[in-house]
Amino acid sequence: MGANTAVARPRGPAGPASGEAPAPGRARRAPDDRKAAWLFLAPALLGFALFYAYPTVRGVYYSLTDYNLLAAPNFTGAENYQQLVTDDQFWNALKVTGYYVVVNIGSQTLLALLLAALMHRLTRSVVLRAMLLVPWLVPNVTVGLLWMWLLDTNLGFVNHILNTLGLGTTGFLSSPDWAMPSIAAVNAWAYTGYTALLLYAGMVQIPQYLYESASLDGAGEIRMFTRITLPLLRPVLALVLVVSLIGSFQIFDTIAVTTQGGPVGATRVIYFYIYEQAFTYFHMGYASAVAVVLALILGVLTAVQMRLLRASRSDLA
Amino acid sequence: MRSLRVRAGAALLCLAASASLVSCGGSDDTAADGTVTLDYWLWDDRQLPAYEDCAAAFHEDNPKIKIKITQTAWLQYWQNLTTQLVSGEAPDVWVNQTTYSPTYATGGQILDLQPLVERDDVDLSGYQPGLTEPWVKDGKRYGLPKDWDTVAVVYNTDMLEKQGVDAADLQNLTWNPTDGGTMEEVVARATVDTKGRNGLDPDFDKKHVAVYGYLPEWEDASQGQNGWGEFAAINGFQYLDKNPWGTEYRFDDPKLIETLDWYKHLIDKGYAPSLAQKSELGNTELLSAGKAAMTLAGSYSISSYTGQNARQDFDFAPLPTGPAGRKSAINGLSDAIWAGTPHKEEAWKWVKFLGSAECQDLVAERAVVFPALTSSTEKTLAAYRAKGEDVSVFTDAAAAKDGTFLLPITERGTEIGPIVQDAIQSAILGQTSTEEAMRTANDKVNALLE
Amino acid sequence: MTQTLTGTESGTGTGTGTGVGAGTGTRTRPGAAARKRLTPGRIVAWAVLAAALVATVFPFYWMVRTALTPAADLYSDSTSLVPQHPTMVNFLRVMGLTSQEEAVAAGGSGAQVDFLRYLLNSVVYSGLIAVLQTLCCAMAGYAFARLRFPGRDAVFGVLIAALMVPPIFTLMPNFVLVKDLGWLNTFAGMVAPTVLMTPFAVFFLRQFFLSIPREVEEAAILDGVGAWGLFWRVVLPMSRGPLLTIGLTTTVWAWKDYLWPLLTGRDEEVRVLTVALGIFQQQSPNTSPDWTGLMAGSTLSVLPVLVLLILLGRRLVESLNFTGGK
Repeated sequence: MGANTAVARPRGPAGPASGEAPAPGRARRAPDDRKAAWLFLAPALLGFALFYAYPTVRGVYYSLTDYNLLAAPNFTGAENYQQLVTDDQFWNALKVTGYYVVVNIGSQTLLALLLAALMHRLTRSVVLRAMLLVPWLVPNVTVGLLWMWLLDTNLGFVNHILNTLGLGTTGFLSSPDWAMPSIAAVNAWAYTGYTALLLYAGMVQIPQYLYESASLDGAGEIRMFTRITLPLLRPVLALVLVVSLIGSFQIFDTIAVTTQGGPVGATRVIYFYIYEQAFTYFHMGYASAVAVVLALILGVLTAVQMRLLRASRSDLA
Repeated sequence: MRSLRVRAGAALLCLAASASLVSCGGSDDTAADGTVTLDYWLWDDRQLPAYEDCAAAFHEDNPKIKIKITQTAWLQYWQNLTTQLVSGEAPDVWVNQTTYSPTYATGGQILDLQPLVERDDVDLSGYQPGLTEPWVKDGKRYGLPKDWDTVAVVYNTDMLEKQGVDAADLQNLTWNPTDGGTMEEVVARATVDTKGRNGLDPDFDKKHVAVYGYLPEWEDASQGQNGWGEFAAINGFQYLDKNPWGTEYRFDDPKLIETLDWYKHLIDKGYAPSLAQKSELGNTELLSAGKAAMTLAGSYSISSYTGQNARQDFDFAPLPTGPAGRKSAINGLSDAIWAGTPHKEEAWKWVKFLGSAECQDLVAERAVVFPALTSSTEKTLAAYRAKGEDVSVFTDAAAAKDGTFLLPITERGTEIGPIVQDAIQSAILGQTSTEEAMRTANDKVNALLE
Repeated sequence: MTQTLTGTESGTGTGTGTGVGAGTGTRTRPGAAARKRLTPGRIVAWAVLAAALVATVFPFYWMVRTALTPAADLYSDSTSLVPQHPTMVNFLRVMGLTSQEEAVAAGGSGAQVDFLRYLLNSVVYSGLIAVLQTLCCAMAGYAFARLRFPGRDAVFGVLIAALMVPPIFTLMPNFVLVKDLGWLNTFAGMVAPTVLMTPFAVFFLRQFFLSIPREVEEAAILDGVGAWGLFWRVVLPMSRGPLLTIGLTTTVWAWKDYLWPLLTGRDEEVRVLTVALGIFQQQSPNTSPDWTGLMAGSTLSVLPVLVLLILLGRRLVESLNFTGGK
């Protein structure tokens, strides 16, 4: 494991636009592998075309129609989008989702980072790692139902403890103020371990000698974390952030089995709203328009994330 | 060029691997010997055995028709059904419900049974009154009734006894939105704080309630079937200008607003948990845990209270009598035939059988639900009695003159539900005044029906 | 400052790097002696880790605890740490080892559960997806990371944009497609949408391939190895860690998948565990779920993947450290 491995690490998160720039002065393969490339890509492209691209095109088309699932769609132009601008429920859903994403991603990523760093610097126990991953293995519906028990105002263990400590009971899922943070915490429980594992995987790749020499220079753990771990973790952190942000925006299962959007819309997140519009109200056209807007928001956020994280990729490598 | 071939072959490995897994089944449901398999969908697992009995009996009479029953949980039932409908792969017959039915009917997915009913001269007079109307619109009939449910008071016998309330006291409860009548008195008695004082005790501590006297249901869409709907109805409230198929809701009716304010008053008194402190698990769970003494329950939930795992002793009592009399919601399900089924005649035969005395008696024997034919009611009661349960308050409610009211049935019911539910919740939480919340919601709802 | 205190690994199974395989070469143990002193800082760190562990595992424990509770005690005994009358009956009935009457008596619906069959179906379903998807996505990821061809970055960008596609778009068209192919109620139809690619797997593997030192490949190129040989004989063996990681991630994802297999694989022959366990959820709007059965079923459904995780766990992250590969 030589010193040069440090520079062979991924060049930043390498978003859509950043290929691997050819390093000058090295032996080159033939400049064009297109035949091989398309063969390598054939299965993925086929899957993409059939199961992503085609449905997306259809979805975008539906967003311009009055499709109600049960009858043929009529083209209505931008009508759905116009309706969306004045739809209080939509804006409320966006607001609620934003709140959820901030709380969920914030707590989940910070905790995961902390756990990964602790695992990285303290122990490499497989059993410990497996234990942290257990919540991730529990089916989503069960996660929601299990926490309904734990958090229940009158029958739940959490309130039982709070009550015993003289702190009174809290309607974690039934109070409009608590419902959203509670859901965010439940999902943080379910996914922190997995996020920590991905981050840990990135940390393990950081060359050990960097820590050793920093340690010889008298650097403490916290300093090493901010000066070595964080900068070198950036590509993996980018991947984790991008993926979990997108996943977080699409939260659905937990809400569907616990609060179902309530109380008074406090947890009616955007994806639950889309689902309701499509499958409960049969407004597939409108649901598609909301979905298109959601996809655009995610696209912009992802691009911004990529840009920010790539801009600082030269920190150390 | 061998290497190129190898590459090409290898690149397609994934495709080949998945393609080779295809079994040659297809979806042809007519076997070589002419046997037709009908797909029948329902959601309630407790009713599954009853309809399996029916399917077996039906197959015996019609050896060329097989019934394949698929049970899917409520949470996925409608999405699953819609997806299948969209792809033209829907079940031939499915259990239908009044909120969803209008959308499917308007969307042309449900077969109009009226011509078949007329052709075969099907007698519809045997059904519990009120059950056939929800499925008829503009002269078209979108289903035959299969069962019904009414609502009653469910209470914890031990708890009420301890407070000096016995079964006889509960037979003739009264209620009005001003002082709550004897209903409120019983609720107050049934409420007990942690020091053992009941709700009528001047020292009653509403901050530390051990047992709530009454549990409201706040997730009850635009119908309030398990609570506010009943109280509003006995207060003289009518949901609609015309039911079924009205076009103007009346959620701003003072009679409903008074009712909701009475509920708020119960919470203020400490007799009922506040909305923000309610158990997300549900009223049945809370009652079963012995943390509450009373609520309203539909006959569909009888088994939750009387099942062999119940640790508390529950019994049922009639609804209280209000200014407008005593009324229970009556509601029922139907069997709908998919308009696109390739086996129309077979499906009709099956639906006719489901609505016949033969099948409904089989359902009655299982004692899980009241079949739609009145002739099967006595059999159901007997089956319950055989299990040691007296559930006659539900059948009495159904049989009483003017004793029932129909839950609102209109277009866009699925959309109206959340609007009204949100409004009621925000009123109960005190986010808006009851009057304003209901007026705004009513305007929104009626705008949808324009 | 070295070699003093706890110089050995903490006996938790990490000490054996042998199973990792040749691809990973020499690995420096990060538990190097320099960090082994038990300072106050480290005590705090361990305490934090322990607290996190308790918070993580406790709800899972609660699931098991509920599964061990008789249905009759469910509400009366909802806050004690250990059930007052522990029972195995919920596990037995979930596995279909009780009679219908016993199952109903224990709070179930009496629906027949052929647990082994569903388990096997789940293994087939997740296994197919994990293996094929990892392979196909590795090929794509490699092409994006290493091969040069016009439009590469654009194609990659478009593929990654699929991450943003809302599931609501894909559900219906994919169902219709699978139905038109006649693949309903076959494994082919169930795995079709995910077996060829998921944007995440392509993204993930491309990121990791990018970080493989080129020197290794260049040596092979000089020996006249083509792109395919390079991928198969050099890159894949070096990438065991990331492949395992993504394979395992995919396995867990497919193992937990519910809605799609419910839509496309209803028949007994292909019904997977999550769909079968759906019977323990709330079945109608006015009834409660079969809580104890649900928790027992969920516990049982977690165990196989947990075992897989522990078995592979050792190889998993340890071998991620592939940059030192030779």
